[in-house]
Amino acid sequence: MTESQLFSQFLSGVSRGMILFFISSGLTLIFGVMNILNFAHASFWLVGAYFTWTFWKILYSPIFGLWISIPLAALTMAGIGWILEVVLIRRVYNRTLSEQLLLTYALVLIIGDVIKLTWGVEDRIVARPQGMEGFIDILGAPFPTYYIFVITLGGFVAWGLWWLLQKTKFGRTVRAAVFSREMVGALGIPVHRIYTGVFALSLFIAGLAGGVQAPISSITLGMDMSIIVECFAVVVIGGFGSLPGALVGSLIVGLVYSFAILVVPKMALVLIFVVTAIVLIVRPWGLFGTPMRA
Amino acid sequence: MKRMNGCKIGNMGMIILLAIVFLSPLPVKAAEPYHLGVVLGLTGTGALYSRDGKNAVEMAVEEINKGGGFLGKHPIKLFVRDDQTKPDVGVREAKDLILREKVKCVLGTYSSAVGLAVEDVCYEYKVLHIPAISNTEAMTVDNYSPYTYQVVPNTYMQAMGQVIGISKYAKQKGWKSFVSIGSDYEWGHSTVNYFVDNMKKTFPEFKLTKQYWPKLGEKEFSSYITAVMGDKPDFVYAALASNDNIAWMKQAKPYGFFTKFPYACLISVTEMIEMKDELPRGVIGETRAPFFAHMDIPMMANFVKNYRAKHNQYPSDWAVMEYDAVYVLKQAIEKAQSIDIEKVKNALKGMTVDTTRGKLNFRKSDNMLNCQSYIGIIADDPQYPFPIYKDLLIVTGEESWRPESEIAAAREKSGLAKRRSPGELKF
Amino acid sequence: MIKLGVLRTYYGWLALALAASIVLPLVVGVFWVHVLIEILIMGLFATSFNLLFGYMGQLSFGQAAYYGIGAYTTALMITKASIPLPLCMMASVLMAGICALIFGYFCVRLTGIYFAILTMAFGQLVFYIIFQWYGFTGGDNGIQGIPAPPLLQNVYVYYYFTLLLVIAALIVMWFITNSPFGYTMRAIRDNSDRTRFIGINIRKYMLVNFVISGMFAGLSGSLWAPFNRSIAPDLANWAHSGIPVFMAVIGGPLGFFGPLVGSVVYTFLSAFVTGFTEYWPIVIGVIIIFIVLFLPGGILGTLQQKTHPVETNNPNNKKKETR
Repeated sequence: MTESQLFSQFLSGVSRGMILFFISSGLTLIFGVMNILNFAHASFWLVGAYFTWTFWKILYSPIFGLWISIPLAALTMAGIGWILEVVLIRRVYNRTLSEQLLLTYALVLIIGDVIKLTWGVEDRIVARPQGMEGFIDILGAPFPTYYIFVITLGGFVAWGLWWLLQKTKFGRTVRAAVFSREMVGALGIPVHRIYTGVFALSLFIAGLAGGVQAPISSITLGMDMSIIVECFAVVVIGGFGSLPGALVGSLIVGLVYSFAILVVPKMALVLIFVVTAIVLIVRPWGLFGTPMRA
Repeated sequence: MKRMNGCKIGNMGMIILLAIVFLSPLPVKAAEPYHLGVVLGLTGTGALYSRDGKNAVEMAVEEINKGGGFLGKHPIKLFVRDDQTKPDVGVREAKDLILREKVKCVLGTYSSAVGLAVEDVCYEYKVLHIPAISNTEAMTVDNYSPYTYQVVPNTYMQAMGQVIGISKYAKQKGWKSFVSIGSDYEWGHSTVNYFVDNMKKTFPEFKLTKQYWPKLGEKEFSSYITAVMGDKPDFVYAALASNDNIAWMKQAKPYGFFTKFPYACLISVTEMIEMKDELPRGVIGETRAPFFAHMDIPMMANFVKNYRAKHNQYPSDWAVMEYDAVYVLKQAIEKAQSIDIEKVKNALKGMTVDTTRGKLNFRKSDNMLNCQSYIGIIADDPQYPFPIYKDLLIVTGEESWRPESEIAAAREKSGLAKRRSPGELKF
Repeated sequence: MIKLGVLRTYYGWLALALAASIVLPLVVGVFWVHVLIEILIMGLFATSFNLLFGYMGQLSFGQAAYYGIGAYTTALMITKASIPLPLCMMASVLMAGICALIFGYFCVRLTGIYFAILTMAFGQLVFYIIFQWYGFTGGDNGIQGIPAPPLLQNVYVYYYFTLLLVIAALIVMWFITNSPFGYTMRAIRDNSDRTRFIGINIRKYMLVNFVISGMFAGLSGSLWAPFNRSIAPDLANWAHSGIPVFMAVIGGPLGFFGPLVGSVVYTFLSAFVTGFTEYWPIVIGVIIIFIVLFLPGGILGTLQQKTHPVETNNPNNKKKETR
């Protein structure tokens, strides 16, 4: 293994991790604020990807098409999130864990068929935007230009979320609501609006993630089912409800996978599960979570 | 007076009776409709291939019913079920079709695991089974059933076809080493193994240096792409599941992968149409039933014309094979002059049939149609809005299937004798 | 002679269900007998799951692992060594129990969402091991040609055999849930802190329950293999683990027979609905959401509310589970 090969694997691991971070950040945010593990989060990501394809097809512009489609898809998902939260999700805040999980799992099933009905069974392909179709050489290792965009955007989203939660009034209220919902309500702040906002924000990010994913590989049915399990692993390792945890966890999962395929090729995925199990046994609240949440 | 009335009544009666007999439709004994079942993975990873297959079956049934059905007197009643790409559901749906809808033949399936499970159900209930998309060799060799007749080139034949096609290029260009990447499930493993084993016999100087096994459903290949490129092989052989292969090719292209490394994999007409702009030109593809290879055969040309008229696109391999399946059944029924399952089953044995892919026949030892495998280089063609194969090499069934001498040993290994009666295994 | 009033009693319904289970196969078409067998086996699986869920208050999303282990143990023993079915079933129960012991040891240290995810992770581990081990388990092609023993070849005979076995298993589980052990489970569910304060070793009890649940799941898997004649690894994955959860919730997790009722509804619907549409997921998804939102106690729970309105067993009063 030469140095540049190792660096290559490292870069692939980072890009893989970034994609996971996009989805897991929303997942962990919803859990952190509303205590709901949204099984359907990857399904929303997939819907975002399909919407991106639709907008991209309509716009039909090789230069700008994608840059407009991605935010459009993200906004559409935010709107859908808003409606879903008001109509459906808020009914299960006070319910048991199993009821919440079942509701979101049922959503996975429904969304899967809705996608099939709306977009059909064909694989959908979105081309990478002009200028980002090739690769550049980093220390002797080829790296697709589009992935640089993915990593940069991921960093931006991470910073943006941090800024939102730490530096804005909305963010402060959200953190207060996590700490004590009753007190925030007692102060006259409409907590339910906060929750709606957080849910919509999470779906915005999921839609963004879907849009970003679209040109990477093809968009197919069932992609959500396979990635949601990896996202759970990320959230466990990083810590439920922790955004820095989601970032670190995603990078860990991405890098472990990337190097595992070189060393123990058939066991790469099993390794992730073993790591998840070990974290749950040894430190259930993950690297950045707080024991209080247990 | 009475007598005259009696005569009058009698005459009236006769006239009325004759009128009734001649004016009413003659009471013919109602012809038994032929119940045909289809089990496909309409939900799941194979939804697209399954949908094409379903469309083709429906088209064939419509055509045959225009002529009154099988033998002109048994209109076909079609029952389609979704096995959700799960063997358990496939078993239950097959039982539903056989026990409730009383089908005489089951067409299908997409996934090999479901195909094997349904094969066993059809064997138990003595119903014909023609898989036209699932193609694991296990269905005809290891798990052979006298009721199952296969019209797709099986995994062994496909891998052998690639060995024949690729060794040609390998010898020409002096390739010394290759790397394999296969989806980590049974199809991926058996395809790569068949390829590697047979390549060793054909061209032993061509050595396998590394193997990669991405999980089934993998969509993020960057780690694999960089690893393979790091190995710097002369050639890369891929046996990735279709959706994964599309993702792989799309992701590898920006790395310049296909300009640096010769690459071979399965590329069916579906991928050619779906990926038309993104498909890397110059890769060596193989597929099972491309329509463009047989446009000189009237049955194929007609099928393509009608399919395009109805569905607004060219038929994929899956559509071609399911269409053939229905017509194979039709010809067997005509040969047997009966729709009775046992008679049709016996008619199919070793039968020669007209298909869209030419005149082919079933081998008696495993009920395998000697269908061809198609290898070529992906290139644009002025006739079609998507790339097809150029330098097409057609490998016949006889060149590519497992030699009959090895079949008994393979069945011995799988313990088939425990599950079938000795008479059924003799050939 | 038997007044309709008897139907108002619990035992009246039970007798009716028993009578139906004996008579139904003789009046419905043979395909539905297959479905009835599936209902019984999945009902047993769901009831074993409910020992953890309804009675102990923990959601396990990985019970299919033990079901799968049971199915594969029986299938492998029959196909590779032609061992008679009763021995295979005992071996299945044992294997499933051992695995439940190993995994459960770690799982019972957690509760709530952590418990759920750890059970899911272990379930996926089992799934991947079965999936990857082609040489032994046949990988994703699964195992075909699992013969039922000669006496049970006829599906009607297999049905009554399954019925007897399932009734026996249900009786055993009934006694377990109505024993002091069972009431300790309920105590752990309702308030694990207080239960700990009175000196009960929570983890030990939870582990015992986990193993019992796993063993019965293994039993249902071993019944499934020779019935279905073939098995595949997805019997062990997390989507399959979701099915007993659905059944328990549809039928009502707080009653003993809830999961069985859920199995009747779910299995029948899945066989019936797929007869005319390929969009089964959306149907079951909508039903689940409907039940979660409007019938929180499941079918049995809601019926109980209607017939016995003053009820301490009100699921809406149930404490939120510890997280």
